[in-house]
Amino acid sequence: MTELRTPPPADRAHVDEDGFPAAEAAASRGTAKAPATGFGLAGWLRWAWRQLTSMRIALILLFLLALGSIPGSILPQQGTDPAAVSRYFKSHPSLAPLLNHLGLFNVFAAPWFAAIYLLLFTSLVGCVVPRTFRMVGSARSLPPRAPRNLGRLPLSAEYRTGLEADAALAKAARLLSGHGFRLRQPDGPGDGRWLSAEKGYLREAGNLLFHLALLGILVSVALGGMFGYKADKLLVEGGTFADTAIDVNEFHPGRLVSGSDLPPFTLTLTKFSASYVSSGAQLGEPSAFDALVRYTATPGGQARSADIQVNHPLSVDGDRIYLLGHGYAPVFKVTDATGKVVFDDAVPFIVGATGDFLSQGVVKVPDAKPEQLGFSGAFVPTAVSVNGTLESIFPAPDHPVVSLIAYGGDLGLNSGVSQSVYDLNTAQMHQLAARPQVLQPGQSWTLPGGKGTITFAGYKQWITLQITHDPGQLPALVCGAAALGGLLLSFLVRRRRIFVRVAEAPEGSVVQVGGLTRTDASGGFEDEFAALATELKAAHESPPRESGD
Amino acid sequence: MPRAKPRRRTVVLAATACAGVLAVVLAVTAFSGGGTATGVSYLAGNTNAVYYQPGHRHVAPDFSGTTLTGQALRFASYRGRVVVLNFWGSWCVPCRTEAATLTVAANQYQRSGVEFLGVDIQDNVASAAAFARGHAVPYPSVSDPNDLVPLAFGSAVPIAATPTTLVVDASGHIAGAVFGEVTYSELSTLLGKVAAR
Repeated sequence: MTELRTPPPADRAHVDEDGFPAAEAAASRGTAKAPATGFGLAGWLRWAWRQLTSMRIALILLFLLALGSIPGSILPQQGTDPAAVSRYFKSHPSLAPLLNHLGLFNVFAAPWFAAIYLLLFTSLVGCVVPRTFRMVGSARSLPPRAPRNLGRLPLSAEYRTGLEADAALAKAARLLSGHGFRLRQPDGPGDGRWLSAEKGYLREAGNLLFHLALLGILVSVALGGMFGYKADKLLVEGGTFADTAIDVNEFHPGRLVSGSDLPPFTLTLTKFSASYVSSGAQLGEPSAFDALVRYTATPGGQARSADIQVNHPLSVDGDRIYLLGHGYAPVFKVTDATGKVVFDDAVPFIVGATGDFLSQGVVKVPDAKPEQLGFSGAFVPTAVSVNGTLESIFPAPDHPVVSLIAYGGDLGLNSGVSQSVYDLNTAQMHQLAARPQVLQPGQSWTLPGGKGTITFAGYKQWITLQITHDPGQLPALVCGAAALGGLLLSFLVRRRRIFVRVAEAPEGSVVQVGGLTRTDASGGFEDEFAALATELKAAHESPPRESGD
Repeated sequence: MPRAKPRRRTVVLAATACAGVLAVVLAVTAFSGGGTATGVSYLAGNTNAVYYQPGHRHVAPDFSGTTLTGQALRFASYRGRVVVLNFWGSWCVPCRTEAATLTVAANQYQRSGVEFLGVDIQDNVASAAAFARGHAVPYPSVSDPNDLVPLAFGSAVPIAATPTTLVVDASGHIAGAVFGEVTYSELSTLLGKVAAR
């Protein structure tokens, strides 16, 4: 009948609840209408809002976001590598200022990038919030009135009972409400004898939970983006790391994080030890890493010890400190031609890709007299000589040596362009000796031409730490789980309705039962309906004595 | 319901999205281009050089350490005089280029009672001492290989990179800061403003 074909108003609201078609339908209505009818500013604003909160615009914005982050991975970025940006300025003097004007050297802080994600955020929030309200309304609505002819419903049953019509209806109401159905009864005596029962509101609750959790995820991610940060730090044994923006090697702060927001802890690497498998097929594979550290959470506070392992981060003051990598830092002492010590430090060498910790690095001595000195070298933890070239056969420092090439001249530091500490610019330098010099710990090399000496004093180990702070992490996890739970609920629970009509008949009454489910994708409602109908019939056939209570 | 052609609608939507982005860009730029916090002013045409008005100055934290020549030094002992505090490292390229400026300024202003002090961070003493010798730096530097002094300054003025130069007034408050390579005119302007009070 008509009541069935066209859902009642309460029903219409959640016709389009299972995805985004509601907003889209609204948007397409808006699109079709906008150019045709000339409406005022309010109309245009409403139209723009509908556009913004439509699924399609959200997708376009998402695409723009992806597109906008491309220059961030192609061009050097101020936040990650300012030295590379300066180099780019030198090599592209006319193009670079233009790109800089467009914010392409700091894409993730550029106004246009912020605009994209702010709009995306607005779009998502604008889409989810109204739907949430609609769903609250839907979850609280009463079931619709019973249709007139229950026999036309997909599932129906009819039987006679000896009970009077009113008693039969009351009994059915008791039984259905006992089964957890929400009931709707006639408005008054003249409204007929019928009963609407609906069950499966958990579906709406699940849907609601899903949408609220979606909002929660958005907020959590925004929280993390605004108040979180990530920093990397290379730390040599014996070295102390202070949690300041200047001390970390790479600092990726959130939008609302300034250098002074970091918790003021200090952390000293006492010792790092790596164990390797020393025999068998997995020879040289790492078996354990331990970074023994002492840290103080606040300046002047009590120092505590900790052992940071891979996947066992240290938690300090809301920050998590992860062990990322490790390597060797040979210690060099350099004297110049005047005999003065001009360098004395451990120099972290970068680990090669071969897995045997053959590492490379450079030593820059800019204040050596009469000319600047530079060394490029390799550290070999367990060295063997194969046909005159050094090779590393094991990652542990069982027989460490360094091989050094010495340069004299201009390191290129006075040009004002920042350099990486791992690169040696030899364009204005000359090699001091024809062959690389191999040194064992404690050995010195007197440089040709009286330019000075370099001593390989020993070695230390370094680790890289990642310090992360993401206040949105836990909320995002909780919301993610809630979203999943809500989604499951809304998939697994069906909303289903049972209608009962009772008509007076000679010596009792005729009971009509009808069943309807809106989404019976998974089936099973037929069985439930049959069981309920049988139960109703049995209740109605039971002796009158029982019907009295 | 009347429907526009799908392609045309997509174009319209894309155009709307772009227009929206543009609008927000304008709004964001308009707002972010705005003024400075109260009590803070930038030196002409330079957002890297900041002057803090009296009453809007943070107290410079005290610190102590060993100089590159091995003497113990306590920052509090400078109280009562204007101090130029320079954070540097021998490894830092702009520190190398600004060294001459600082040397000239120190030689001139030390005669009028302004003290200069360096904080050598993330460095080894041998290299730093060689730097100081090489550039004839006329003032001491505290060796701070582990960045503990920047950590102490954290809440007052974030020392985010080298070089950073602070001007501390006679009462021990930070009156000015230059982030990045300092120029002679920036330094003399800041010192002039601080001395005028």
